[in-house]
Amino acid sequence: MRLLDTLSPTQLERVKAALAKPALYGPDVDVRDYLLAEGPAQEVEADEDRVREVGIDLERAKRTGYYMQVDSERIRYISGLPGVEVMSIEDALEREPEVSRLIWRLVDPATDKYTAVAALRGRGGYFVRVRRGIRMEEPVQTCLFMVRGGLQAPHNIIYVEEGARARVLTGCTIMPESFGLHAGITEIYLERGARLDYVMIHAWSRGTHVRPRTGVLAGEEAEVVTYYINLSTVRTLQTYPRYILRDGARLHSVSLILGRGSSIIDVGAKAALGGRRAAAEILSRVVARDSSRVVARARVEGAFGRGHVECKGLVLSDAARVEAVPGLGAVGRGVTLTHEASIGKLSEEAIAYLMSKGFTREEAESILVRGFMNVEILDLGPQLTAYVKNLMRLLARAAI
Amino acid sequence: MTEVLTVEDLTARVDEELIVHRVNFLVSKEETLYIVGPNGAGKSTLLKAVVGYPGIIVEGRVIFMGEDVTGSPIDERARKGLILSHQFIPRIDGVTVGELIEMVARVSGSGVSTEEVAELLEIRHLLGREFGKGLSGGEMKRVEVAVTLAAGPKLALIDEPDSGVDVESALVIAEGIREMIRRSPVGSVVVVTHTGFISKYVPPTRVCIMMSGVLGPCSGPELLDKVLAEGFRIEVA
Repeated sequence: MRLLDTLSPTQLERVKAALAKPALYGPDVDVRDYLLAEGPAQEVEADEDRVREVGIDLERAKRTGYYMQVDSERIRYISGLPGVEVMSIEDALEREPEVSRLIWRLVDPATDKYTAVAALRGRGGYFVRVRRGIRMEEPVQTCLFMVRGGLQAPHNIIYVEEGARARVLTGCTIMPESFGLHAGITEIYLERGARLDYVMIHAWSRGTHVRPRTGVLAGEEAEVVTYYINLSTVRTLQTYPRYILRDGARLHSVSLILGRGSSIIDVGAKAALGGRRAAAEILSRVVARDSSRVVARARVEGAFGRGHVECKGLVLSDAARVEAVPGLGAVGRGVTLTHEASIGKLSEEAIAYLMSKGFTREEAESILVRGFMNVEILDLGPQLTAYVKNLMRLLARAAI
Repeated sequence: MTEVLTVEDLTARVDEELIVHRVNFLVSKEETLYIVGPNGAGKSTLLKAVVGYPGIIVEGRVIFMGEDVTGSPIDERARKGLILSHQFIPRIDGVTVGELIEMVARVSGSGVSTEEVAELLEIRHLLGREFGKGLSGGEMKRVEVAVTLAAGPKLALIDEPDSGVDVESALVIAEGIREMIRRSPVGSVVVVTHTGFISKYVPPTRVCIMMSGVLGPCSGPELLDKVLAEGFRIEVA
């Protein structure tokens, strides 16, 4: 079964109509070019240095499993742990046609022109399933790499069965001289009591438009911990994952965003509290330099549970712009929601203090940016924790 | 050469306002110089001007260890060993007390261990706290003396180490200052205070009074006793 065949005739009609529908947020991109048929397939290989830059270590990942996709056609994967299945979405559909029931359930293919392009032209994507009771220590690693540019629209599914603990590290990157549109669709399902630690790093180039669309359903007592990190210049990037949290489910979502060059970035997350003890915490730290423009959104809504939203921005140049858009929505008396938002610059007082102890101005600024980015890292296991910490350091270095 | 620090005709302005007026003083080897005076006398601005703090317009000369450092930026002076110990510390989000002490020790090459200063300044329980956040007056001073020690000063200029602290903290801070003197290759320190409280534990070898931006007179330790008994104004008159 092809990905396209997962759409019903009615869906297909809606999707075609959605090709003209701009996204709710972010600059509009003309997607017509990306609908054209691709040229003859060339042999393309990922640049291993570039892959390592986004933290993907395929050798190490053989122990747990990995999925590697270059452009739309070159795909290889391996499952290294009993109870942890890693394969391409096409192979998953081939082996188990019922996997199609997980496709386009959490993300509407007619949401906007990017989901529509993905629905019509998407190829590849990973299927990761972690079986009941499995507790992963090291993560499965997935890498989506663009070499020739053009369109890359994989459809990814993560399915964590009851009580399992899954860890996934995903890195998306492109060769610096390539131009393209990445419209990855990711749908994540957690059964009752499951936990997913999900770390995603983006390192695009100044010629890339990036429009990932993500939907997550966390079942009762399930827990999602997610860290999203954007390191490099991108032409435009807009993403707004949506989380549905059932009774007792918890979400901890952190976005660390560096705006560089003339990047236009609009990122955030939205959580719907669907049960009495559901809890969501959505945090973002944005550092904007050069002439970048960054919007950080976060929204929690529902009738039950509790939620907290925190958007903090740091503006490092006069031409940079940051907007923080925290949002809360309550229905009835059963919900408690709070938010905190601030945008500022580096404190001259703190810089002078650090310089008075022997740091150069550059070192002092770097310490402050690193401190600003230094969010709490929940229990992710040693490998993912070290990885996220290292990224925080890289972000601070790249910011100054 | 016995002069560690020579300050000549130093005038300091902040936002056009004259705060320190033509100040001259010397710090010799093995000297503990106290600069005492009421609040608002310009003592803190004088120290900041000597270390080259940004935002202070300075005229005159500052010679440290035989080198004219008047035009050099604050971090360069710090790396030469001229270190200001602040009256107040800023908040640094996301950086703990322990991390900062470690980073300062590393950048200065002082070889001071975090454990060691934490023990001495009784701040072991604060090492995991965010720097400058939620510290009491005494804790803040102890942390700042620890950071200053980590910077490995040849000459530390310590601003109001005893204001707003209780006796227990003052004793610990005094121990920290004595350690600075012991570790300094020239054995000197400058202490600015308006209460003189710390002098019980770190006795001065020389005392200067500062009032309304003017420094002087300077004399032996007995001057401090007199000031504490009779007040600053009587002495200057």
